[in-house]
Amino acid sequence: MSKRNYYDIDDILASQERVPCFLRTDLDGLGSAGGGGSSKVHRNSRWSLPFWMADRLNDEDYLDMQVSPVFSKQSNRMYAASPESVDLRNICQNYYQFGLQLSEVAPEVPHVLHNMYMTRIQKIARVAQQGNNVETLDFVQSLDKMEEDILRVCQHAQGAITAWHQNKAYALQKASVIHN
Amino acid sequence: MAVSSRQKEGFTMPELEYLAQCETVTIVPLHRMERLELVRGTVGPFRPPQKTQVPLWLAAMLKRTNRCRIVAPDWLRYEHLQKLCKQEEEPDSLFTKLPFHYLEIAHILLTVAEDDISESQGIRRLLQDLRESRQSKTLRGIEMLNPLQLQMDNLSAAEINEIRPLFRHSFNMLRQLDSLVLASEKSQQQSQYADQSYAGLEDSFVSSYPL
Repeated sequence: MSKRNYYDIDDILASQERVPCFLRTDLDGLGSAGGGGSSKVHRNSRWSLPFWMADRLNDEDYLDMQVSPVFSKQSNRMYAASPESVDLRNICQNYYQFGLQLSEVAPEVPHVLHNMYMTRIQKIARVAQQGNNVETLDFVQSLDKMEEDILRVCQHAQGAITAWHQNKAYALQKASVIHN
Repeated sequence: MAVSSRQKEGFTMPELEYLAQCETVTIVPLHRMERLELVRGTVGPFRPPQKTQVPLWLAAMLKRTNRCRIVAPDWLRYEHLQKLCKQEEEPDSLFTKLPFHYLEIAHILLTVAEDDISESQGIRRLLQDLRESRQSKTLRGIEMLNPLQLQMDNLSAAEINEIRPLFRHSFNMLRQLDSLVLASEKSQQQSQYADQSYAGLEDSFVSSYPL
């Protein structure tokens, strides 16, 4: 796992996503970590762990980490069919970040991400330029966290020129509490 | 000095306007004045009604105090802009050639020297049309993004500022994805050709680079 973004809050949140794992040894007293209630977890059982935990334990060979269902072959094929209508917020809010982290173990993920990103970026840019309306509301609500950021930034950049044309761009303005 | 996050993303419009005011315009001074020696150069003696070249900030200042008349630059004429508009609207054309700060210069001149520019309303409309067709072209430029290079000639300063956050993010993302693909391909090759010499590995690495 790359250490360069150790302190990055987005990375931390993204690596919290759960992945299914296949345990290789008996683990005593750790049942609550996977979301279950029992305190003993047996060998060869399936368990769902956050990615940061699973990756480390995978390196130590305590378990076999498998690709999360968000990036399974079936999901990839489904999303590739129409990237623009995929509801990323419901599937996985940190889709892109999580995908970047998973790419180290799953080599087909970068292509999936690339495809998804290129098509959705164009739609985001178009929404930013032509403004938000009823038809695009569905799309805007389906963006994941990173795409929302991009949309907000784009909208601000687009609005900057028009605001300046109307002379609203200057920072110094009379305070609204002053009544003359 | 605290820099707001909005300022980190690029220039603000007032900053671009300030930068644009270094461009020269031609004026017709109304009063006689001697040479002005400024930091950036000398502004020559004013001998009305001879035309002189001055920086835009000085021209705007003089105009506001009624000491000069501004001559519209060549590109800020109605017919020229109409021609550029038609050229811009042709499908699959490149961006038309306009001065780098054309938006800001036009804004300043139209605010300060409206009486010196003929058909200012028409020019405003044409500038708006120009801007819209250029914007749709930048949208098409997004489709052509790749992590290596993207060339868009003749974009103006304000337009570049507009697209900077999006393109910066896209370039970063594409570069990350690209390096991940390369890393996984390289590790695959290393496991396949484990006993090949280093020179051989370099050759296969170069040939698999996506272009």
